[in-house]
Amino acid sequence: MPLIRQVWLLLFAVLGLAVGGAVVVNLLSARDTLADQVRLKNADNAQALALVLSQQRGDTALIGLVIKAQADTGHYRSIRFEAADGSTVEQRFDGAPTGAPGWLRALLPIASEPGVAQVSDGWRALGKVTVVTHVEHAYAALWRGGWRALLWMVLVGALAALVARAGVRRLQAPLDATVAQAQALADGRYVTVAEPAVPELHRVSAAMNTMVQRVRGLIEAEAAQADRWRRQAHCDALTGLPHRAHFLDRLAALAAREDGAAGGALVLLRVADLDDANRRLGRHEVDAALRTLAAALQTEVDRGPDALAGRLNGTDFALFLPDRGQASDDAVDQLAATLRARLAESGLDAHLGAVEVPPTWTASTLLAQADLALAQAESGAPFEIVRLAEPAPAGGGEQAWRDQLQAALAGGRTAIAEFPLLGVGGTLVHLECPLRVGLAEGAAPVPAARWLPMALRTRLTAPLDAQALHLALSAIAEDQRPRCVNLAPPSLLDPDFVDNLRDRLMAAPGLAQQLWLELPEAAALEDRRALQAFSRLLRPLGVHFGLEHAGSQLHRLERLYELGLDYVKLDAAVCTGLVDNAAAQEFVRGTVRLLAGMGAQTFAEGVTRAEDADALFACGVAGVTGPWARPA
Amino acid sequence: MARLVLAGLLLAAGPALQAWDADRMQRAADRLGPRAVAGARLLQPLLREVAAQDEAARLARVNEFFNRRIVARDDVDIWGRTDYWASPLETLDKGEGDCEDYAIAKYFSLLATGVAVERLRLVYVRAQQGGPGGPTIAHMVLAYYATPAAEPLILDSLVTEVRPASRRPDLQPVFSFNGEGLWQGAGTQPVADALSGLSRWREVQVKARAEGFL
Repeated sequence: MPLIRQVWLLLFAVLGLAVGGAVVVNLLSARDTLADQVRLKNADNAQALALVLSQQRGDTALIGLVIKAQADTGHYRSIRFEAADGSTVEQRFDGAPTGAPGWLRALLPIASEPGVAQVSDGWRALGKVTVVTHVEHAYAALWRGGWRALLWMVLVGALAALVARAGVRRLQAPLDATVAQAQALADGRYVTVAEPAVPELHRVSAAMNTMVQRVRGLIEAEAAQADRWRRQAHCDALTGLPHRAHFLDRLAALAAREDGAAGGALVLLRVADLDDANRRLGRHEVDAALRTLAAALQTEVDRGPDALAGRLNGTDFALFLPDRGQASDDAVDQLAATLRARLAESGLDAHLGAVEVPPTWTASTLLAQADLALAQAESGAPFEIVRLAEPAPAGGGEQAWRDQLQAALAGGRTAIAEFPLLGVGGTLVHLECPLRVGLAEGAAPVPAARWLPMALRTRLTAPLDAQALHLALSAIAEDQRPRCVNLAPPSLLDPDFVDNLRDRLMAAPGLAQQLWLELPEAAALEDRRALQAFSRLLRPLGVHFGLEHAGSQLHRLERLYELGLDYVKLDAAVCTGLVDNAAAQEFVRGTVRLLAGMGAQTFAEGVTRAEDADALFACGVAGVTGPWARPA
Repeated sequence: MARLVLAGLLLAAGPALQAWDADRMQRAADRLGPRAVAGARLLQPLLREVAAQDEAARLARVNEFFNRRIVARDDVDIWGRTDYWASPLETLDKGEGDCEDYAIAKYFSLLATGVAVERLRLVYVRAQQGGPGGPTIAHMVLAYYATPAAEPLILDSLVTEVRPASRRPDLQPVFSFNGEGLWQGAGTQPVADALSGLSRWREVQVKARAEGFL
């Protein structure tokens, strides 16, 4: 039984005993008092009556008359005169019973002890008179007094209960907080709470807070270490941006992904006359300028998910801005203005070439086109952008996109693909089920890369995600195989979407155990609270909750340990070529340790080669997905 | 009531029954003082002795005992109060008493020898002093009724001899009472001792009981 309920039961028992006890004691003492009064009245009235009777000179008729007068006008059950010769005169009046119930008379009898007095006429003893008064009024008084006592005691008891409630509330809040913290620890969320004032709970909370701080410290140290390995493996030492190989890996991973980017822009930037600048300004100044430039690019990257910046070589930088619902033309123009302002301070010039990302693309073709644009830009003035390809959006206009997507949903032109995620030894962990949408009547369903930017811009992610969930849950119900659905972050902000999902899972608990839900790593950066709320709502139902496309920003996630994650999938860029890259292996190992500390598993995405898969498993990764894992 | 009458008849018929408690009387006397102890030491053999005799003899002996030992005096002079009903041992301890104290001491002593309570009555009387035409005073005597209709015998402090009422023309009875019915229904313990202080009669009965007379 919960502690607070026990406290309540105890309080009610004590209050009940106190109230009941007080009423009983009150009744008993009232009964004794009333019985005393009756006895005294009997005795005194007998003496007074005997005094009067003794003055009647032994006239039996007079004596009878006096007794009758006394009995008729007073409150007596019986007045009896016993003469010395044995004859008696008696007046009885039984009277009507009052409202007191029979059980009260049975439980608390009030005896009417007869009063006896001697009657004489001069020296002649005439006899004795016995007076018995009625006790009905005493029972009535006892009954009324009992009720009054009960009412008062219940009133006092209610007041005491109110005071007790306030007291219990004061206990309950810190107790709940402490329990919630303990529960959070069990769920792998390392949260601290305000330490309550109650000394015992204060010690418990303080101990748990200390432990949480220590674990956080360990996790943060692990994260920092993992990040150092990541930088060493993938980043340019001076600017901290991904180096050429890693930038290309990530670009390729994006191109290969179901929900990769379609639309958006790739911008190449070449710093003009770097050697000359080195001579002119000194290496130190130039390095500082390059770092400023890198910071400006990083700012752009931080703005949206899947954006990518890299340093391709000494003078060349690349920025990939996916179309995520913002107009990327404006973004590119703004970028140019920002870079101009930043570089002007240091006296460096740069040329920019940009290329629109077509609906289908590969990293190498896109980069080749961008190189072309840059080459054209180098012949122009600094900071002038050369754009290749038409910026016109496919299909023409948001309304058209909305119609297209809604028609696809209404016409049932949706399907889920199924890609296995395999654990050690080739066991199936779950099937990844990205949604594919047929954008036109009769057209083959296309992956998210094609429709997601449209869905984001037209705010249709929630119905599309709901459709994906519906398909996945139906499939689970059919073959009981675990399936994984990736959600778009805006869907979490749609209360209807979340409620419907929860209702559906609660209606069929078996399904929840087999359902894995994931969001891009970038979503955790953007709206940690929404993620946390979502996780808290669904994980208790048995749903596995995780992040996908993770790696580059995992270490930057604030309070990762509070999210409540079951797993994290590392981005393909992290996993490609792992077997040859010792630093990258260290990064994966550190990440696995970090996540294991939070009770979360680590998976790898986009694995193409068996050597990489082996290396990943050797680093402690619990499962891999990608072309390698797909059945031939 | 029936039980009391029956007990009274038994006591009258079988004088061997002892109605009083010698130990309790001794302890009460010890508490009061040496004169009470001396009085009790004389009273106890008397009570034992007369219990074997007929009731007329008991009346005479008890009446004589108290009339001899106790000097008549007002309550104000003895106790500093206008009216105080002393218990038998208190009276013996002081060696003094007013008319009520005599009557009370004799009443309880006779009860102790086994005389039935129905036969004894304390009687308020108007006493004429110094022959007819003399001043009258409020007085109390003890009356003994051999049967309910009989002429009572009067035990008085003014006259040493026990005489029938007809030979006491100086006394005019006003009201009589005794302890009949008082303890009934309450076992051996007096009911509500706490309230005894509110009534002189009740109070002195409780004291006499504590002194072992009842």
